[in-house]
Amino acid sequence: MPDSAIILDSLEKWFPPALGGWKAYLQPFHAPTSPALRGISLQVKQGEAVALLGANGAGKTTLLRILATLLLPTRGSATLAGHDAVREPAEVRRNIGYHAGSDLGFYARLTGRQNLQFFGRLHRQTDEFITRRIGSLSEQLGLQNSLDRQARTLSSGTIQRLSLLRALLHQPNVLLLDEPTRSLDAIAAAQFRQFLKTEVLARQGTSLFFASHTMQEIEMLADRVVILEEGKLLAFDTPAALRGATASPSLEEAFARITGRRLQPAQESASL
Amino acid sequence: MKQLLRDLLLFFQRDLRIASTYRSPFILEAIEALFGATTFYYVARFVDSPALRAALPQGKTYFAYSLVGFVFFDYLNAALDTFDRSLQEARDAGTLEPLLVTQVSLPVILVGSAFYPFAATTLRIAVYLGWAAAFFEFPLRAANWPAVIAVLVATLLAFSGLGVLSAAYLLLFKRGNPAKWLILGVSSIAGGMLFPVDILPPWLQFVAHLNPVTYALDAMRGALLEGASLSAIARPLLLLLAFAAVLMPFSTVAFSWALRRTKVTGTLTHR
Repeated sequence: MPDSAIILDSLEKWFPPALGGWKAYLQPFHAPTSPALRGISLQVKQGEAVALLGANGAGKTTLLRILATLLLPTRGSATLAGHDAVREPAEVRRNIGYHAGSDLGFYARLTGRQNLQFFGRLHRQTDEFITRRIGSLSEQLGLQNSLDRQARTLSSGTIQRLSLLRALLHQPNVLLLDEPTRSLDAIAAAQFRQFLKTEVLARQGTSLFFASHTMQEIEMLADRVVILEEGKLLAFDTPAALRGATASPSLEEAFARITGRRLQPAQESASL
Repeated sequence: MKQLLRDLLLFFQRDLRIASTYRSPFILEAIEALFGATTFYYVARFVDSPALRAALPQGKTYFAYSLVGFVFFDYLNAALDTFDRSLQEARDAGTLEPLLVTQVSLPVILVGSAFYPFAATTLRIAVYLGWAAAFFEFPLRAANWPAVIAVLVATLLAFSGLGVLSAAYLLLFKRGNPAKWLILGVSSIAGGMLFPVDILPPWLQFVAHLNPVTYALDAMRGALLEGASLSAIARPLLLLLAFAAVLMPFSTVAFSWALRRTKVTGTLTHR
Protein backbone atom coordinates (compact mmCIF):
# COMPACT_ATOMS: atom_id res chain seq x y z
CA MET A 1 0.00 0.00 0.00
CA PRO A 2 1.59 3.37 -1.03
CA ASP A 3 2.12 6.02 1.68
CA SER A 4 0.09 8.58 -0.24
CA ALA A 5 -3.56 7.88 -1.02
CA ILE A 6 -3.72 10.73 -3.52
CA ILE A 7 -0.95 12.59 -5.33
CA LEU A 8 -1.79 15.54 -7.58
CA ASP A 9 1.04 16.94 -9.64
CA SER A 10 0.51 20.26 -11.48
CA LEU A 11 -3.02 19.16 -12.29
CA GLU A 12 -4.87 21.38 -14.74
CA LYS A 13 -8.30 21.19 -16.27
CA TRP A 14 -9.62 23.48 -18.98
CA PHE A 15 -13.06 23.17 -20.54
CA PRO A 16 -14.17 24.26 -24.01
CA PRO A 17 -16.86 26.96 -23.96
CA ALA A 18 -20.41 25.67 -23.63
CA LEU A 19 -21.96 26.46 -27.02
CA GLY A 20 -25.66 26.09 -27.73
CA GLY A 21 -27.84 25.78 -30.84
CA TRP A 22 -26.20 25.87 -34.26
CA LYS A 23 -22.88 27.01 -32.82
CA ALA A 24 -22.55 23.64 -31.13
CA TYR A 25 -22.84 21.92 -34.55
CA LEU A 26 -20.64 24.40 -36.38
CA GLN A 27 -17.88 24.26 -33.77
CA PRO A 28 -18.23 20.79 -32.21
CA PHE A 29 -14.58 20.51 -31.24
CA HIS A 30 -13.74 23.91 -29.81
CA ALA A 31 -10.41 24.23 -28.01
CA PRO A 32 -10.59 24.38 -24.20
CA THR A 33 -10.49 28.01 -23.06
CA SER A 34 -12.13 28.03 -19.62
CA PRO A 35 -9.83 27.11 -16.74
CA ALA A 36 -11.37 24.99 -13.98
CA LEU A 37 -8.21 23.80 -12.21
CA ARG A 38 -4.82 25.50 -12.44
CA GLY A 39 -1.66 23.71 -11.42
CA ILE A 40 -2.92 21.83 -8.37
CA SER A 41 -0.22 19.88 -6.53
CA LEU A 42 -0.82 18.12 -3.22
CA GLN A 43 -0.54 14.80 -1.42
CA VAL A 44 -3.12 13.12 0.79
CA LYS A 45 -1.65 10.57 3.19
CA GLN A 46 -3.10 7.10 3.62
CA GLY A 47 -5.88 7.26 6.21
CA GLU A 48 -6.01 11.06 6.15
CA ALA A 49 -9.22 13.11 5.79
CA VAL A 50 -8.88 16.15 3.54
CA ALA A 51 -11.67 18.64 2.88
CA LEU A 52 -12.05 20.72 -0.26
CA LEU A 53 -13.34 24.17 0.57
CA GLY A 54 -14.22 26.78 -2.01
CA ALA A 55 -17.02 28.88 -3.39
CA ASN A 56 -19.31 27.52 -6.11
CA GLY A 57 -17.27 27.10 -9.30
CA ALA A 58 -13.94 26.94 -7.46
CA GLY A 59 -13.17 23.53 -9.02
CA LYS A 60 -14.03 21.12 -6.18
CA THR A 61 -16.37 18.90 -8.19
CA THR A 62 -14.07 18.97 -11.22
CA LEU A 63 -11.20 17.75 -9.05
CA LEU A 64 -13.30 14.95 -7.54
CA ARG A 65 -14.54 13.90 -10.99
CA ILE A 66 -10.98 13.68 -12.32
CA LEU A 67 -10.08 11.46 -9.36
CA ALA A 68 -13.18 9.33 -10.04
CA THR A 69 -11.97 8.88 -13.68
CA LEU A 70 -15.08 10.64 -15.02
CA LEU A 71 -13.01 13.49 -16.43
CA LEU A 72 -9.61 13.63 -18.09
CA PRO A 73 -7.16 16.30 -16.92
CA THR A 74 -5.79 18.73 -19.49
CA ARG A 75 -2.28 18.65 -18.01
CA GLY A 76 -0.52 17.19 -14.99
CA SER A 77 -1.29 13.94 -13.24
CA ALA A 78 -3.53 12.45 -10.56
CA THR A 79 -2.49 9.27 -8.78
CA LEU A 80 -4.77 7.32 -6.45
CA ALA A 81 -3.56 4.40 -4.35
CA GLY A 82 -0.48 4.29 -6.57
CA HIS A 83 -2.41 4.21 -9.86
CA ASP A 84 -2.57 6.92 -12.50
CA ALA A 85 -6.14 8.12 -13.11
CA VAL A 86 -5.60 8.43 -16.88
CA ARG A 87 -3.47 5.37 -17.63
CA GLU A 88 -4.96 2.93 -15.10
CA PRO A 89 -8.60 4.00 -14.64
CA ALA A 90 -9.84 0.47 -13.81
CA GLU A 91 -7.28 0.13 -11.00
CA VAL A 92 -8.23 3.56 -9.69
CA ARG A 93 -11.94 2.65 -9.71
CA ARG A 94 -11.16 -0.54 -7.81
CA ASN A 95 -9.72 1.59 -5.01
CA ILE A 96 -12.26 4.40 -4.77
CA GLY A 97 -15.78 4.88 -3.52
CA TYR A 98 -17.48 7.88 -5.08
CA HIS A 99 -20.61 9.68 -3.98
CA ALA A 100 -21.60 12.65 -6.12
CA GLY A 101 -24.03 14.16 -3.62
CA SER A 102 -26.93 13.62 -6.01
CA ASP A 103 -30.17 12.04 -4.88
CA LEU A 104 -30.45 10.25 -8.25
CA GLY A 105 -28.54 7.25 -9.48
CA PHE A 106 -30.70 4.27 -8.53
CA TYR A 107 -33.07 2.13 -10.56
CA ALA A 108 -36.43 3.41 -9.38
CA ARG A 109 -38.29 0.09 -9.81
CA LEU A 110 -35.70 -2.00 -7.97
CA THR A 111 -35.48 -2.13 -4.20
CA GLY A 112 -32.59 -0.54 -2.35
CA ARG A 113 -31.14 -3.99 -1.70
CA GLN A 114 -31.45 -5.07 -5.38
CA ASN A 115 -29.75 -1.84 -6.45
CA LEU A 116 -26.90 -2.38 -3.99
CA GLN A 117 -26.48 -6.02 -5.00
CA PHE A 118 -26.29 -5.00 -8.66
CA PHE A 119 -23.64 -2.34 -8.09
CA GLY A 120 -21.74 -4.57 -5.66
CA ARG A 121 -21.52 -7.28 -8.31
CA LEU A 122 -20.31 -4.73 -10.87
CA HIS A 123 -17.53 -4.01 -8.37
CA ARG A 124 -16.68 -7.73 -8.65
CA GLN A 125 -17.61 -8.55 -5.07
CA THR A 126 -19.00 -11.94 -4.08
CA ASP A 127 -22.65 -12.28 -3.06
CA GLU A 128 -21.59 -13.33 0.43
CA PHE A 129 -19.40 -10.23 0.88
CA ILE A 130 -22.11 -7.95 -0.52
CA THR A 131 -24.75 -9.41 1.82
CA ARG A 132 -22.44 -9.00 4.82
CA ARG A 133 -21.53 -5.40 3.90
CA ILE A 134 -25.14 -4.41 3.22
CA GLY A 135 -26.10 -5.89 6.60
CA SER A 136 -23.49 -4.05 8.64
CA LEU A 137 -23.51 -0.73 6.75
CA SER A 138 -27.30 -0.47 6.60
CA GLU A 139 -27.43 -0.84 10.36
CA GLN A 140 -24.82 1.88 10.86
CA LEU A 141 -26.55 4.21 8.38
CA GLY A 142 -30.06 3.49 9.71
CA LEU A 143 -31.26 1.96 6.45
CA GLN A 144 -32.52 -1.46 7.60
CA ASN A 145 -36.18 -0.56 7.11
CA SER A 146 -35.66 1.00 3.68
CA LEU A 147 -33.65 -1.69 1.93
CA ASP A 148 -36.58 -3.74 0.68
CA ARG A 149 -38.61 -0.84 -0.65
CA GLN A 150 -38.44 0.27 -4.28
CA ALA A 151 -36.04 3.20 -4.68
CA ARG A 152 -38.83 5.36 -6.13
CA THR A 153 -40.62 5.28 -2.77
CA LEU A 154 -37.63 6.48 -0.74
CA SER A 155 -37.07 10.06 0.42
CA SER A 156 -34.13 12.03 -0.98
CA GLY A 157 -32.35 11.79 2.37
CA THR A 158 -32.69 7.99 2.35
CA ILE A 159 -31.46 7.84 -1.25
CA GLN A 160 -28.43 9.89 -0.19
CA ARG A 161 -27.63 7.43 2.58
CA LEU A 162 -28.17 4.54 0.18
CA SER A 163 -25.75 6.22 -2.20
CA LEU A 164 -23.18 6.55 0.58
CA LEU A 165 -23.65 2.89 1.39
CA ARG A 166 -23.04 2.07 -2.26
CA ALA A 167 -19.81 4.11 -2.25
CA LEU A 168 -18.59 2.12 0.78
CA LEU A 169 -19.91 -1.26 -0.32
CA HIS A 170 -16.70 -2.62 -1.86
CA GLN A 171 -14.56 -1.33 1.02
CA PRO A 172 -12.59 1.25 -0.97
CA ASN A 173 -9.19 2.60 0.12
CA VAL A 174 -10.12 6.15 -0.82
CA LEU A 175 -13.55 7.68 -0.37
CA LEU A 176 -14.44 10.64 -2.59
CA LEU A 177 -17.49 12.56 -1.43
CA ASP A 178 -19.04 15.62 -3.02
CA GLU A 179 -21.14 17.43 -0.43
CA PRO A 180 -22.12 14.17 1.27
CA THR A 181 -24.66 15.59 3.72
CA ARG A 182 -26.37 18.00 1.31
CA SER A 183 -29.82 16.33 1.43
CA LEU A 184 -29.66 15.00 4.97
CA ASP A 185 -31.55 16.49 7.88
CA ALA A 186 -29.51 17.79 10.83
CA ILE A 187 -29.73 14.58 12.87
CA ALA A 188 -28.98 12.29 9.93
CA ALA A 189 -26.06 14.53 8.89
CA ALA A 190 -24.61 14.43 12.42
CA GLN A 191 -25.01 10.64 12.56
CA PHE A 192 -23.37 10.28 9.19
CA ARG A 193 -20.37 12.43 10.21
CA GLN A 194 -19.98 10.34 13.34
CA PHE A 195 -20.12 7.20 11.23
CA LEU A 196 -17.42 8.54 8.91
CA LYS A 197 -15.21 9.53 11.82
CA THR A 198 -15.48 6.40 13.94
CA GLU A 199 -16.07 3.68 11.36
CA VAL A 200 -14.60 4.77 8.03
CA LEU A 201 -11.64 6.89 9.20
CA ALA A 202 -10.71 5.48 12.61
CA ARG A 203 -11.57 1.80 12.30
CA GLN A 204 -11.10 1.06 8.59
CA GLY A 205 -8.33 3.59 7.93
CA THR A 206 -9.95 4.72 4.69
CA SER A 207 -8.66 7.97 3.22
CA LEU A 208 -11.32 10.62 2.79
CA PHE A 209 -11.28 13.43 0.22
CA PHE A 210 -14.48 15.42 0.37
CA ALA A 211 -15.98 18.69 -0.79
CA SER A 212 -18.20 20.53 1.63
CA HIS A 213 -19.66 23.93 2.37
CA THR A 214 -20.43 22.98 5.97
CA MET A 215 -17.76 24.31 8.33
CA GLN A 216 -18.95 22.11 11.20
CA GLU A 217 -18.44 19.06 8.99
CA ILE A 218 -14.98 20.14 7.91
CA GLU A 219 -13.91 20.98 11.48
CA MET A 220 -15.15 17.62 12.70
CA LEU A 221 -13.73 15.39 9.97
CA ALA A 222 -10.82 17.02 8.17
CA ASP A 223 -7.20 16.61 9.20
CA ARG A 224 -6.30 19.17 6.54
CA VAL A 225 -8.23 21.59 4.35
CA VAL A 226 -7.61 22.54 0.72
CA ILE A 227 -8.84 26.05 -0.11
CA LEU A 228 -9.62 26.49 -3.79
CA GLU A 229 -10.48 29.73 -5.54
CA GLU A 230 -11.17 29.88 -9.28
CA GLY A 231 -9.28 26.64 -9.81
CA LYS A 232 -6.18 27.69 -7.85
CA LEU A 233 -4.97 26.13 -4.65
CA LEU A 234 -4.63 29.00 -2.18
CA ALA A 235 -3.91 27.05 0.99
CA PHE A 236 -3.53 23.48 2.22
CA ASP A 237 -3.14 22.98 5.97
CA THR A 238 -4.83 21.89 9.15
CA PRO A 239 -7.89 23.92 10.23
CA ALA A 240 -5.94 25.15 13.29
CA ALA A 241 -2.97 26.24 11.15
CA LEU A 242 -5.26 28.06 8.70
CA ARG A 243 -6.94 29.89 11.58
CA GLY A 244 -3.56 30.68 13.14
CA ALA A 245 -1.95 31.91 9.94
CA THR A 246 -4.79 34.34 9.31
CA ALA A 247 -5.38 35.23 12.98
CA SER A 248 -9.01 34.19 12.51
CA PRO A 249 -11.36 33.00 15.25
CA SER A 250 -13.06 30.53 12.90
CA LEU A 251 -12.35 28.50 9.79
CA GLU A 252 -15.02 30.47 8.01
CA GLU A 253 -13.19 33.72 8.79
CA ALA A 254 -9.90 32.16 7.72
CA PHE A 255 -11.47 31.08 4.43
CA ALA A 256 -12.77 34.60 3.84
CA ARG A 257 -9.35 36.15 4.54
CA ILE A 258 -7.43 33.67 2.39
CA THR A 259 -9.77 34.07 -0.59
CA GLY A 260 -10.15 37.83 -0.13
CA ARG A 261 -13.90 37.49 0.19
CA ARG A 262 -15.89 39.61 2.59
CA LEU A 263 -18.27 37.88 4.94
CA GLN A 264 -21.70 39.48 4.98
CA PRO A 265 -23.42 39.45 8.39
CA ALA A 266 -26.01 36.96 7.09
CA GLN A 267 -23.24 34.63 5.95
CA GLU A 268 -21.58 34.49 9.32
CA SER A 269 -23.15 31.21 10.19
CA ALA A 270 -22.14 27.61 10.27
CA SER A 271 -21.97 27.21 6.52
CA LEU A 272 -20.87 29.19 3.48
CA MET B 1 -14.36 -14.17 -21.02
CA LYS B 2 -16.19 -15.77 -18.10
CA GLN B 3 -16.18 -12.44 -16.27
CA LEU B 4 -17.50 -10.65 -19.37
CA LEU B 5 -20.39 -13.11 -19.70
CA ARG B 6 -21.13 -12.71 -15.99
CA ASP B 7 -21.22 -8.91 -16.39
CA LEU B 8 -23.52 -9.14 -19.42
CA LEU B 9 -25.82 -11.49 -17.51
CA LEU B 10 -26.00 -8.99 -14.64
CA PHE B 11 -27.46 -6.36 -16.95
CA PHE B 12 -29.94 -8.84 -18.40
CA GLN B 13 -31.05 -9.83 -14.87
CA ARG B 14 -31.36 -6.16 -13.93
CA ASP B 15 -33.63 -5.41 -16.88
CA LEU B 16 -35.67 -8.56 -16.35
CA ARG B 17 -36.21 -7.59 -12.70
CA ILE B 18 -37.27 -4.09 -13.69
CA ALA B 19 -39.63 -5.44 -16.39
CA SER B 20 -41.17 -7.90 -13.92
CA THR B 21 -42.27 -4.99 -11.67
CA TYR B 22 -44.64 -3.92 -14.44
CA ARG B 23 -47.53 -6.36 -14.46
CA SER B 24 -49.50 -5.81 -17.66
CA PRO B 25 -47.24 -4.71 -20.57
CA PHE B 26 -46.51 -8.21 -21.85
CA ILE B 27 -50.19 -9.14 -21.98
CA LEU B 28 -51.03 -5.84 -23.65
CA GLU B 29 -48.22 -6.30 -26.18
CA ALA B 30 -49.44 -9.81 -26.98
CA ILE B 31 -52.94 -8.45 -27.61
CA GLU B 32 -51.49 -5.58 -29.64
CA ALA B 33 -49.62 -8.14 -31.76
CA LEU B 34 -52.92 -9.88 -32.47
CA PHE B 35 -54.46 -6.57 -33.59
CA GLY B 36 -51.38 -5.90 -35.74
CA ALA B 37 -51.44 -9.32 -37.39
CA THR B 38 -55.20 -9.02 -38.00
CA THR B 39 -54.76 -5.60 -39.62
CA PHE B 40 -52.01 -6.91 -41.89
CA TYR B 41 -54.15 -9.89 -42.84
CA TYR B 42 -57.16 -7.82 -43.93
CA VAL B 43 -55.09 -5.18 -45.71
CA ALA B 44 -53.33 -8.02 -47.56
CA ARG B 45 -56.68 -9.62 -48.44
CA PHE B 46 -57.94 -6.30 -49.71
CA VAL B 47 -54.99 -5.72 -52.08
CA ASP B 48 -54.41 -9.39 -52.98
CA SER B 49 -54.69 -10.35 -56.64
CA PRO B 50 -53.10 -12.90 -59.00
CA ALA B 51 -51.03 -10.06 -60.52
CA LEU B 52 -49.71 -9.05 -57.09
CA ARG B 53 -48.85 -12.65 -56.23
CA ALA B 54 -46.99 -13.03 -59.49
CA ALA B 55 -45.00 -9.86 -58.70
CA LEU B 56 -43.88 -11.09 -55.27
CA PRO B 57 -40.42 -12.62 -55.37
CA GLN B 58 -41.04 -14.80 -52.28
CA GLY B 59 -44.03 -15.88 -50.27
CA LYS B 60 -47.28 -17.25 -51.39
CA THR B 61 -49.38 -14.32 -50.21
CA TYR B 62 -48.92 -10.60 -49.71
CA PHE B 63 -49.85 -11.13 -46.04
CA ALA B 64 -46.84 -13.40 -45.45
CA TYR B 65 -44.59 -11.12 -47.48
CA SER B 66 -45.55 -7.90 -45.67
CA LEU B 67 -45.66 -9.45 -42.19
CA VAL B 68 -42.08 -10.72 -42.53
CA GLY B 69 -41.05 -7.23 -43.69
CA PHE B 70 -42.76 -5.68 -40.70
CA VAL B 71 -41.32 -7.98 -38.01
CA PHE B 72 -37.87 -7.76 -39.57
CA PHE B 73 -38.02 -3.99 -39.28
CA ASP B 74 -38.91 -4.41 -35.60
CA TYR B 75 -35.61 -6.25 -35.18
CA LEU B 76 -33.71 -3.71 -37.22
CA ASN B 77 -35.19 -0.96 -35.09
CA ALA B 78 -34.02 -2.76 -31.94
CA ALA B 79 -30.46 -3.07 -33.29
CA LEU B 80 -30.33 0.60 -34.26
CA ASP B 81 -32.10 1.99 -31.23
CA THR B 82 -31.09 -0.06 -28.20
CA PHE B 83 -27.59 1.24 -27.56
CA ASP B 84 -28.30 4.93 -27.60
CA ARG B 85 -31.60 4.45 -25.76
CA SER B 86 -29.94 2.54 -22.90
CA LEU B 87 -27.28 5.26 -22.72
CA GLN B 88 -29.92 7.98 -22.69
CA GLU B 89 -31.97 6.21 -20.01
CA ALA B 90 -28.92 5.76 -17.77
CA ARG B 91 -27.97 9.39 -18.27
CA ASP B 92 -31.49 10.67 -17.54
CA ALA B 93 -31.97 8.41 -14.49
CA GLY B 94 -28.57 9.44 -13.11
CA THR B 95 -27.33 5.83 -13.08
CA LEU B 96 -24.65 6.41 -15.73
CA GLU B 97 -22.19 8.02 -13.33
CA PRO B 98 -22.46 5.31 -10.64
CA LEU B 99 -22.09 2.68 -13.38
CA LEU B 100 -18.98 4.37 -14.74
CA VAL B 101 -17.15 4.24 -11.42
CA THR B 102 -17.56 0.45 -11.17
CA GLN B 103 -15.19 -2.11 -12.66
CA VAL B 104 -17.29 -2.43 -15.82
CA SER B 105 -16.46 -0.39 -18.93
CA LEU B 106 -19.03 1.67 -20.83
CA PRO B 107 -18.98 -0.63 -23.93
CA VAL B 108 -19.84 -3.60 -21.68
CA ILE B 109 -22.58 -1.54 -20.02
CA LEU B 110 -24.05 -0.76 -23.45
CA VAL B 111 -23.83 -4.31 -24.79
CA GLY B 112 -25.21 -5.72 -21.53
CA SER B 113 -28.09 -3.27 -21.62
CA ALA B 114 -28.93 -4.39 -25.17
CA PHE B 115 -29.56 -8.04 -24.25
CA TYR B 116 -32.97 -7.62 -22.69
CA PRO B 117 -34.38 -5.39 -25.48
CA PHE B 118 -33.18 -7.92 -28.07
CA ALA B 119 -34.78 -10.77 -26.12
CA ALA B 120 -38.01 -8.78 -25.70
CA THR B 121 -38.08 -8.00 -29.44
CA THR B 122 -37.54 -11.68 -30.27
CA LEU B 123 -40.42 -12.62 -28.00
CA ARG B 124 -42.67 -9.95 -29.53
CA ILE B 125 -41.86 -11.19 -33.03
CA ALA B 126 -42.53 -14.78 -31.98
CA VAL B 127 -45.94 -13.73 -30.65
CA TYR B 128 -46.71 -11.86 -33.89
CA LEU B 129 -45.80 -14.85 -36.02
CA GLY B 130 -47.60 -17.19 -33.63
CA TRP B 131 -50.88 -15.28 -34.00
CA ALA B 132 -50.40 -15.11 -37.76
CA ALA B 133 -49.81 -18.88 -37.98
CA ALA B 134 -52.67 -19.73 -35.62
CA PHE B 135 -55.36 -17.60 -37.22
CA PHE B 136 -54.25 -16.45 -40.68
CA GLU B 137 -52.45 -19.42 -42.28
CA PHE B 138 -49.00 -17.88 -42.08
CA PRO B 139 -46.75 -20.68 -43.45
CA LEU B 140 -44.63 -21.12 -40.33
CA ARG B 141 -44.11 -24.84 -40.94
CA ALA B 142 -42.12 -24.08 -44.08
CA ALA B 143 -39.45 -22.20 -42.12
CA ASN B 144 -35.85 -23.36 -41.89
CA TRP B 145 -35.21 -22.24 -38.29
CA PRO B 146 -31.41 -22.54 -38.22
CA ALA B 147 -31.31 -20.33 -41.32
CA VAL B 148 -33.78 -17.87 -39.76
CA ILE B 149 -31.63 -17.63 -36.62
CA ALA B 150 -28.48 -17.21 -38.73
CA VAL B 151 -30.08 -14.29 -40.62
CA LEU B 152 -31.25 -12.66 -37.38
CA VAL B 153 -27.84 -12.96 -35.73
CA ALA B 154 -26.08 -11.63 -38.84
CA THR B 155 -28.57 -8.75 -39.03
CA LEU B 156 -28.04 -7.88 -35.37
CA LEU B 157 -24.27 -7.94 -35.77
CA ALA B 158 -24.39 -5.89 -38.96
CA PHE B 159 -26.71 -3.19 -37.69
CA SER B 160 -25.56 -3.08 -34.08
CA GLY B 161 -22.47 -1.35 -35.43
CA LEU B 162 -24.72 1.46 -36.61
CA GLY B 163 -26.44 1.39 -33.22
CA VAL B 164 -23.08 1.87 -31.49
CA LEU B 165 -22.33 4.74 -33.88
CA SER B 166 -25.64 6.29 -32.81
CA ALA B 167 -24.60 5.96 -29.18
CA ALA B 168 -21.33 7.75 -30.04
CA TYR B 169 -23.34 10.51 -31.71
CA LEU B 170 -25.55 10.77 -28.61
CA LEU B 171 -22.50 11.09 -26.37
CA LEU B 172 -21.25 14.01 -28.44
CA PHE B 173 -24.44 15.80 -29.44
CA LYS B 174 -26.85 14.68 -26.68
CA ARG B 175 -29.92 14.23 -28.90
CA GLY B 176 -30.86 12.39 -32.07
CA ASN B 177 -30.22 9.07 -33.77
CA PRO B 178 -29.19 9.78 -37.38
CA ALA B 179 -28.29 6.15 -38.18
CA LYS B 180 -31.78 5.01 -37.24
CA TRP B 181 -33.36 7.87 -39.15
CA LEU B 182 -31.27 7.18 -42.25
CA ILE B 183 -31.42 3.39 -42.32
CA LEU B 184 -35.09 2.99 -41.37
CA GLY B 185 -36.13 5.92 -43.56
CA VAL B 186 -34.27 4.72 -46.65
CA SER B 187 -35.05 1.06 -46.03
CA SER B 188 -38.78 1.56 -45.59
CA ILE B 189 -38.76 2.73 -49.23
CA ALA B 190 -35.72 1.08 -50.76
CA GLY B 191 -35.38 -2.02 -48.58
CA GLY B 192 -38.30 -4.20 -49.59
CA MET B 193 -40.28 -3.90 -46.38
CA LEU B 194 -43.81 -3.81 -47.79
CA PHE B 195 -43.21 -4.06 -51.54
CA PRO B 196 -40.55 -5.55 -53.81
CA VAL B 197 -37.79 -3.17 -54.86
CA ASP B 198 -38.36 -4.16 -58.54
CA ILE B 199 -41.30 -1.75 -58.74
CA LEU B 200 -39.14 1.25 -57.81
CA PRO B 201 -37.66 3.68 -60.37
CA PRO B 202 -34.13 2.70 -61.50
CA TRP B 203 -32.30 5.18 -59.26
CA LEU B 204 -34.14 3.92 -56.17
CA GLN B 205 -33.45 0.34 -57.24
CA PHE B 206 -29.78 1.31 -57.32
CA VAL B 207 -30.10 2.61 -53.74
CA ALA B 208 -31.88 -0.61 -52.76
CA HIS B 209 -29.04 -2.72 -54.17
CA LEU B 210 -26.53 -0.76 -52.09
CA ASN B 211 -28.68 -1.20 -48.98
CA PRO B 212 -27.76 -4.26 -46.86
CA VAL B 213 -31.33 -4.32 -45.50
CA THR B 214 -32.58 -5.46 -48.93
CA TYR B 215 -30.31 -8.52 -48.83
CA ALA B 216 -31.07 -9.28 -45.19
CA LEU B 217 -34.79 -9.14 -45.83
CA ASP B 218 -34.49 -11.34 -48.94
CA ALA B 219 -32.58 -13.89 -46.88
CA MET B 220 -35.12 -13.71 -44.05
CA ARG B 221 -38.06 -14.26 -46.39
CA GLY B 222 -36.24 -17.09 -48.07
CA ALA B 223 -35.52 -18.84 -44.76
CA LEU B 224 -38.87 -18.17 -43.13
CA LEU B 225 -41.33 -18.54 -46.01
CA GLU B 226 -39.59 -20.96 -48.36
CA GLY B 227 -37.39 -22.94 -45.98
CA ALA B 228 -34.26 -21.86 -47.86
CA SER B 229 -31.13 -23.67 -46.72
CA LEU B 230 -28.07 -21.94 -45.29
CA SER B 231 -26.20 -22.50 -48.53
CA ALA B 232 -29.05 -20.93 -50.49
CA ILE B 233 -28.82 -17.74 -48.43
CA ALA B 234 -25.03 -17.80 -48.09
CA ARG B 235 -24.53 -14.72 -50.28
CA PRO B 236 -26.71 -12.29 -48.27
CA LEU B 237 -25.42 -13.84 -45.04
CA LEU B 238 -21.81 -13.24 -46.05
CA LEU B 239 -22.68 -9.74 -47.15
CA LEU B 240 -24.21 -8.99 -43.73
CA LEU B 241 -21.20 -10.47 -41.95
CA ALA B 242 -18.85 -8.41 -44.13
CA PHE B 243 -20.89 -5.33 -43.28
CA ALA B 244 -20.53 -6.24 -39.57
CA ALA B 245 -16.79 -6.90 -39.94
CA VAL B 246 -16.24 -3.41 -41.38
CA LEU B 247 -18.69 -1.52 -39.19
CA MET B 248 -18.05 -3.07 -35.76
CA PRO B 249 -14.36 -2.08 -35.45
CA PHE B 250 -15.10 1.34 -36.95
CA SER B 251 -18.01 1.99 -34.57
CA THR B 252 -15.99 0.72 -31.59
CA VAL B 253 -13.18 3.15 -32.40
CA ALA B 254 -15.67 5.98 -32.96
CA PHE B 255 -17.40 5.23 -29.67
CA SER B 256 -14.11 5.12 -27.74
CA TRP B 257 -13.12 8.43 -29.29
CA ALA B 258 -16.49 10.01 -28.40
CA LEU B 259 -16.23 8.70 -24.85
CA ARG B 260 -12.75 10.16 -24.45
CA ARG B 261 -13.93 13.42 -25.97
CA THR B 262 -16.79 13.75 -23.45
CA LYS B 263 -14.34 13.09 -20.62
CA VAL B 264 -12.25 15.96 -21.98
CA THR B 265 -15.19 18.34 -22.38
CA GLY B 266 -16.87 17.26 -19.14
CA THR B 267 -20.14 16.47 -20.91
CA LEU B 268 -20.24 12.71 -20.33
CA THR B 269 -23.33 12.81 -18.16
CA HIS B 270 -24.85 16.00 -19.60
CA ARG B 271 -28.32 15.79 -21.15
